[in-house]
Amino acid sequence: MSILQVNNLAKHFGGLVAVKDLTLSIKPGEIRGLIGPNGCGKTTTMNMLAGLYKPTRGDVRYHGKSIVKLPPHIRTAQGIMRTFQIPKLFSEMTVEENMMVPALATSTEKTPEFIEALENKATEKLTFCKLDHVSHLLAKQLSGGQRMLLQIARGLMVEGLELFLMDEPFAGINQVIKETIMDAIMEMNDNQGITFLIVSHEMSSVRRLCQTVCVMHEGSLIAEGSMTEVANDPLVIEAYLGGQNAASDS
Amino acid sequence: MDLIILTQYVLSGLVIGVIYALMAVSITFVHGMMKVVNWSMGEYYMMGGYIQYLLITMLIGPSLWFLGIPIAFAIIFVLGVVIQRYMLHPMFVGESERMDEYATIVTITLMILFRNLAIIFGGPYQYSVPDYFPPTDLGPLPISGNRFMALIGTALILGILYYVMKKTWPGRALLGMSQNRIGIQTAGINVRRLDEIAFGIGVGLAAAAGALLAPVFLVWAESGSVPTMKGFEIVVIGGLGSIPGSIIAALLLGLIESLGSVFISSEYRDLFGFVFLILILIFRPNGLFGDRERLA
Repeated sequence: MSILQVNNLAKHFGGLVAVKDLTLSIKPGEIRGLIGPNGCGKTTTMNMLAGLYKPTRGDVRYHGKSIVKLPPHIRTAQGIMRTFQIPKLFSEMTVEENMMVPALATSTEKTPEFIEALENKATEKLTFCKLDHVSHLLAKQLSGGQRMLLQIARGLMVEGLELFLMDEPFAGINQVIKETIMDAIMEMNDNQGITFLIVSHEMSSVRRLCQTVCVMHEGSLIAEGSMTEVANDPLVIEAYLGGQNAASDS
Repeated sequence: MDLIILTQYVLSGLVIGVIYALMAVSITFVHGMMKVVNWSMGEYYMMGGYIQYLLITMLIGPSLWFLGIPIAFAIIFVLGVVIQRYMLHPMFVGESERMDEYATIVTITLMILFRNLAIIFGGPYQYSVPDYFPPTDLGPLPISGNRFMALIGTALILGILYYVMKKTWPGRALLGMSQNRIGIQTAGINVRRLDEIAFGIGVGLAAAAGALLAPVFLVWAESGSVPTMKGFEIVVIGGLGSIPGSIIAALLLGLIESLGSVFISSEYRDLFGFVFLILILIFRPNGLFGDRERLA
């Protein structure tokens, strides 16, 4: 059974059709890429999957059950985490507080043992993401790449994380941190079986990480397959290059 | 001018500033958390005053006046939660494009409703609450007992608010929401619940201010108007959404009003604050501690 099944998903903003009749299925343990030209509806799709946007129509099924009416925090509690191209952090809090606040604010248990266990978990996840040396800094003091890593580390604090939705995790990030993020994704996938849906414009990273890639254009899914397959698909080439228009322009 | 007298006016200004601070903090608290301006804040202040009056005259008596403040806070907190849940929450449903206009219409409607309810039930009268404390001295400043208690009470309430926000995890979650609403939702926290708590605390603070200041400024249907006006003035001077900014701006406004009354004329007391506000808007449009908005 698919971990995530999207059926005929559509999103309209007034007269603008951002996503139309999107259908896709992701198997457990997969690292799926979602690519497409700017404005093709990738981020809108991610927002609908995370519960931030209510679809105009269509259904989203997680482990076979519809989650389309669930608010974002319930989806997170069920194991779905989402990161953003511009990291959504608590800028005036320390890195460690960014890790701890969600778990401690929602838990009724506040015993010293529970807090200590949580602190240990936070330290472990920060070490995994190579952020342990900056745990005392405010989030706003981090570099862009470190902020992205912190989003990922915070996602790992979610109990029972199964599906990680990542929106442009490699955008504007130096090569060293990009490698760290890719290593972290592969390790989480291999060792914990976490499923990923990654939106990215970084084709080399998508090629390295994703077995299957979905291509969107003007709100619709136009191709699906391995990176090599979709790269040779005429529809994809036309979507990216403008087809005959591009040829005639040049 | 005698140094002692000048010190008295400075202290008097600071006392007024601290009293103003509580109302300003309640306004900026709601804005900081929910990103909406609550135009009916003065009416929660007014209701806090009425609750205190009723409690003292009918239930607890003048000697237990201090119990009225947490009771007023609690009653208005619950009312705030209900209002947030059923009247303000719909603006966060879906992708509302005109949230500010929605909040403005709802809160101004509530302002009119509560004022008229106060007139219906309380009549067009001004009610006087018995003194909390006899006149006393604050260093070289002779001060009314009511203002002295308002000073102590405000400092205590702001101290508790600081502790809750900085030292407790639910408080930090509220701070997290003020820093990033989307981030807090996708981190697994029920932002709807936080909105209810934030709105409840904000209007509860206004009610606590109303109860605390009931003997200083009488209780009547429009008793919230002046504190609200001062509160908004302070919030703009301090920077919208900044709690420390509101406290410092309140102290500054109190000082300016007090010293302006001495050196120029007490007839223009309110004018000094507005001149200060205009200067701030010219030279620091985002207020003393407001964040500059990034345009590109």
